Amino acid sequence: MQQIVSKSYPKRESKIIANNIKTQVPAELSHWLTLVAEQRDKQAFTALFEFFAPKIKRFGIKQLGSDAQANELVQETMTNVWRKSHLYNIDKGAATTWVYTVMRNASFDILRRIKAKNEQNLGDDIWPIDMAQDELQGEEDNFGDHLMEKQMLVYVNTLPEAQQAVVKGVYYQELSQEQLAQQLGVPIGTIKSRLRLALSKLKLQMGEDYHD
Amino acid sequence: MIKHHPTSSVLRHFVAGELPVSVAVIVASHVELCDECRAAVQLLTEQAAAQAFDDTVMGEALSGLQSDTPIEDDEFFKAFDFDAATVSDITGSDAANMIESITEQSALINSALAQTVNEIEISGTRIKLPRAIKSIALREWQGLGKLSRARLALEDQELRASLLHIDKGGSVPCHTHKGFEITLILRGSFEDEMGSYREGDFMWLDGDHTHQPVTKEGCVCLTVSSDAIHFTQGMSQLLNPIGRFIY
Ligand SMILES: [Zn+2]
Repeated sequence: MQQIVSKSYPKRESKIIANNIKTQVPAELSHWLTLVAEQRDKQAFTALFEFFAPKIKRFGIKQLGSDAQANELVQETMTNVWRKSHLYNIDKGAATTWVYTVMRNASFDILRRIKAKNEQNLGDDIWPIDMAQDELQGEEDNFGDHLMEKQMLVYVNTLPEAQQAVVKGVYYQELSQEQLAQQLGVPIGTIKSRLRLALSKLKLQMGEDYHD
Repeated sequence: MIKHHPTSSVLRHFVAGELPVSVAVIVASHVELCDECRAAVQLLTEQAAAQAFDDTVMGEALSGLQSDTPIEDDEFFKAFDFDAATVSDITGSDAANMIESITEQSALINSALAQTVNEIEISGTRIKLPRAIKSIALREWQGLGKLSRARLALEDQELRASLLHIDKGGSVPCHTHKGFEITLILRGSFEDEMGSYREGDFMWLDGDHTHQPVTKEGCVCLTVSSDAIHFTQGMSQLLNPIGRFIY
């Protein structure tokens, strides 16, 4: 991305130039984000980085007031984009809106760290970034369900770590088995067998509880 | 039906991340309960995102300004000048290093669900707490008659955030606020001189308001206040020391 505004800006000629060269938001943004989520695609991430980083830096300088902190904001925002891209739901909004949320949350937490000397991150609790999950939450306002799921989660948490990751990925984050294989860097067959094992253990545990 | 909402200016500051943390938390808790405000927040977020990321928005704003506003010199554009420097900064080897270090990390696989379940039990009823306070610890419940309060362990300078429970038939004596007091009803309802309030209602009161909330069915509220409340009438003035308590 090139910045257009030159020092001699407020002259008539440059006004025309500025209007002609103004940058567009690339239509591929959400596609790139999906590639990062599903395939850990470094090239797509680099493209996202090139588009967003300078703008995040500009936002950071405005909000946080220093070059170093603006760099920290770029680092933190783009790290969250990389690590949490599977929480972006293409059907629920533009990539720019999601990245803005990730950036504003990080900025809010960095500012709290500076001002209140508070290390606790609250941004993502206040402004949820898991768009897929929001929908779920709205639909089940039933305590019974919550308690049931809480109990279920207790069982899930007793599974070996590798099986937990698969169960949580498939059921709670709604990732496909292919996506999980890519994220965890294991063959799809391994995902399938871990899931089978985990489910049979869970059935056993839940069955036992019913007989108590 | 929720009747009382944050103003649109409050929502705009909320979206921009400019509110103090405890106010952001109580606004978020209302937004979670209120479809109307959730839609407004979504729209405002889209606008803020466009402003941050879409240069065409800025380009249009600039050309709009240019036609109507005489521009003295480069002053107005100084703000944009550092961009040129910033861009070269961030696309150099720094950027390559940053991209490298980020992409070495694995994705976060954690349970979304574990984080959304957050309930407490207050006098026999379970209530679901707003998502915005799920990571914030609650201090001990302290009771006084039909009132009990648990403060949120949230450092926010002079602002205090609490869960307040008023049991069936309870009331808070007539009082005014030295600073401001924001109340969000999480469960139940209460009435005061100005009207009745139910689940999801969000009230922002200041020193100009005097009221005496009464609850028939009991209620649980999330409150944020900037100073002690101040009791205004007769005998209840004797209660002013407990104004400290409620704050
Ligand atoms: Zn509302």
